[in-house]
Amino acid sequence: MKSINYKFREKLNSTIGGEAHNFCYQCGACVGDCPAAMYSPDFNPREILLQAILGDEKTLTGENSPIWNCTNCYTCYERCPQAVRPVEVIIALKNICYQKMTAAPEVREIVDSVKATGRTVKITSLSDRRRKELGLKEVKIVPMEELRELFEQ
Amino acid sequence: MMDVGRHPKIKLFAYSEVEEVSGYVGNFQVKVRKKARYVREKDCNACGECVKVCPVAVPDEFQQGFSSRKAIYLQLPQAVPSAYLIDMQTCMGNNPIACGKCAEVCEKKCIDYDMQDEIIDLKVGAIVVATGMDVYDPTELDEYGYRSFENVITSMEFERLICASGATQGHFIRPTDHKTPKSIGFIQCVGSRSEKRGKSYCSNICCMNTIKDSVLLCDHYPGTEIKVFYIDIRAFGKAFEDLYRRSKQEGVKYIRGLPGEVVEDPKTKNLIVTVENTTTGEVERHEIEMLVLSVGVLPRQDGSLIQKLLTLSLTADGFFMESHPKLKPVDAPTKGVFFAGCAEFPKDVKDSVTQAGAAAARSEIILNADRIKVEAITSMVDKDMCTACEICYRACPYKCILVDREKKTPAEIIEAACAGCGTCGAECPFGAVTMRHFTDTQIIAQIEAILEENPQEKTVVFACNWCSYAGGDMAGISRLQYPPNQRIIKTMCSGRVDEEFVLYAFKLGAPMVLVSGCHFADCHYIDANRWTVKRVEKLWDKLEKMGIRPERLQLEWISAAEGQKFAKVMKEVEEMRKKVTKEEIEFTKKALADLKFKGEKRRAKLEADKAKMEKVVV
Repeated sequence: MKSINYKFREKLNSTIGGEAHNFCYQCGACVGDCPAAMYSPDFNPREILLQAILGDEKTLTGENSPIWNCTNCYTCYERCPQAVRPVEVIIALKNICYQKMTAAPEVREIVDSVKATGRTVKITSLSDRRRKELGLKEVKIVPMEELRELFEQ
Repeated sequence: MMDVGRHPKIKLFAYSEVEEVSGYVGNFQVKVRKKARYVREKDCNACGECVKVCPVAVPDEFQQGFSSRKAIYLQLPQAVPSAYLIDMQTCMGNNPIACGKCAEVCEKKCIDYDMQDEIIDLKVGAIVVATGMDVYDPTELDEYGYRSFENVITSMEFERLICASGATQGHFIRPTDHKTPKSIGFIQCVGSRSEKRGKSYCSNICCMNTIKDSVLLCDHYPGTEIKVFYIDIRAFGKAFEDLYRRSKQEGVKYIRGLPGEVVEDPKTKNLIVTVENTTTGEVERHEIEMLVLSVGVLPRQDGSLIQKLLTLSLTADGFFMESHPKLKPVDAPTKGVFFAGCAEFPKDVKDSVTQAGAAAARSEIILNADRIKVEAITSMVDKDMCTACEICYRACPYKCILVDREKKTPAEIIEAACAGCGTCGAECPFGAVTMRHFTDTQIIAQIEAILEENPQEKTVVFACNWCSYAGGDMAGISRLQYPPNQRIIKTMCSGRVDEEFVLYAFKLGAPMVLVSGCHFADCHYIDANRWTVKRVEKLWDKLEKMGIRPERLQLEWISAAEGQKFAKVMKEVEEMRKKVTKEEIEFTKKALADLKFKGEKRRAKLEADKAKMEKVVV
């Protein structure tokens, strides 16, 4: 018999995007059209929502959590009849993961890169050269000071 | 329906619209537009000769477009009265060059192309609103492919296909190849229980409709594979669970899961439904030959017309609101008006008949009474004070005030229709309207009594009879603790709370005033508490301009069940009261020293006028 971890649910409720998980009635509309669920057998948005309702902190925010298989395509956002916005619940869970330091090291790298350079992908001399060859303009400089201020806020 | 048509005491106005309703309970005047049928109803014996010669063919609305009808037609085979009518939009008319064939063949000579709409005036005692419902159009749910794939139909269309009087004489065939499908799928909750597309409520009838349809299919075509995709099956009524069991026994497969996508096989025109079977957690693909969308129930799109005619109110869903959801489920807030059927909320045949019976019985009570009893708490008008400005009429949720600004006829309350909210009294700018048992003088006396001793320690609370005052009772019954500094003045509705009551309380040194009423949708006087909001907002502005902190006037909605909230609000208000300083109270007293009641002003003016007149006479 599972007992419900309300503490975790409260935490999810107070994270942006996670508050609508309460309204899920487990119809499975999010799964029927989910491209990630079609190819990876361990990813199932309905089950993730069920685990969220049960407050299964370990599965959802532990290492190797299934949530990282989500492709952020927002199909479930369109399908969900209860406006639960499953994809945003998953994003909220990802944020919790990051805070708990259980996110994969690759995720950490991207976040660090954004914090340092304002970009998710590094600009190298190779990419500059390729852009010139293709006749593209030089990459604009990210206003890092503004960005830093935003992060601090 | 046949019985209704034949009944000596029932007048049936088919193909007619109500245009205007005036009057009040027991004395309604109704104007009905009887639309021209262009066929004399009494003479037509529905022989059908005219239909044979009519050259126009248009899609038949009743058959959901599965077959066609002529320009002269019967809406449905069992139509009462059984007389044809001409759809003038499509008829070619009586131009001998164009057509006029039906008039030629009609032996009874009952076709009249020049017929005009007829206006009929009726006097009635009670009105029953039974305007029915609309159904959800699932086109916007693009994942189900309704209208993109021909073999996806709605449950209404299914009904026409399986009905013996339907377009296919009851032979169930699918639109693309006219063959009886070997496998059929049903999707439940299409347009129901959805926050985004469709409506958020459960439509009540679709589960049982699908179960019935599945049993029908099993009876007519044994061996058909039927799959029902559902979220929850709600088989709550008498014998419903038995039918559900029978359907399962017949081999209908119930799959718990809402399909995410439907695609069509372009060759076979079969449909492939992708769904997660939530019982197993597996994503399944089902190939079926025909798909039925079990569509939800919507309120009538033109419901607001009737709402205006009868001064009714609608719920957030768009259905008509009853006088009380538990104790008066058949009565409308307007006296003498009753509901039957889906106009009030989606319901099945049995519930509709039950409600219709109740509505008829409740109407009988009014029709058989020579006089009806009304509550003594109604408004009254001092005709001398009234300037016929029509403000009370605008505020009245029941529109039960007769007044004419142009003719300067002073206001008169129709007491049979007045429910006694008192909004008119609070809105009247001249103090001409007041309420029996809740007169201005009575309420002012209560305010004076409350603030006679130590006014700085007291909060004046206006609570409405139905919700907030009952909420206070609830707090008492539940033995909830709250500070004892509040003094409650009961009014029938928060709409009764006049601007000057609040100002007068401040003038007498009240640190805080609280106005409380029912939650918006729960107002017992249709929408009288919307006037409360307007008035309080106006007061906040006024206080601010005077230099008085507007926070000292609070507005709260507390329902009869919310004892907890009542206690909480009282505690909060008490905290606020403690923060009001002596200087503030003194300042307020001074600022309001010149406060005069609107009645006083008007009376003074009237007396001055009178004195002037007397002088002239002398």
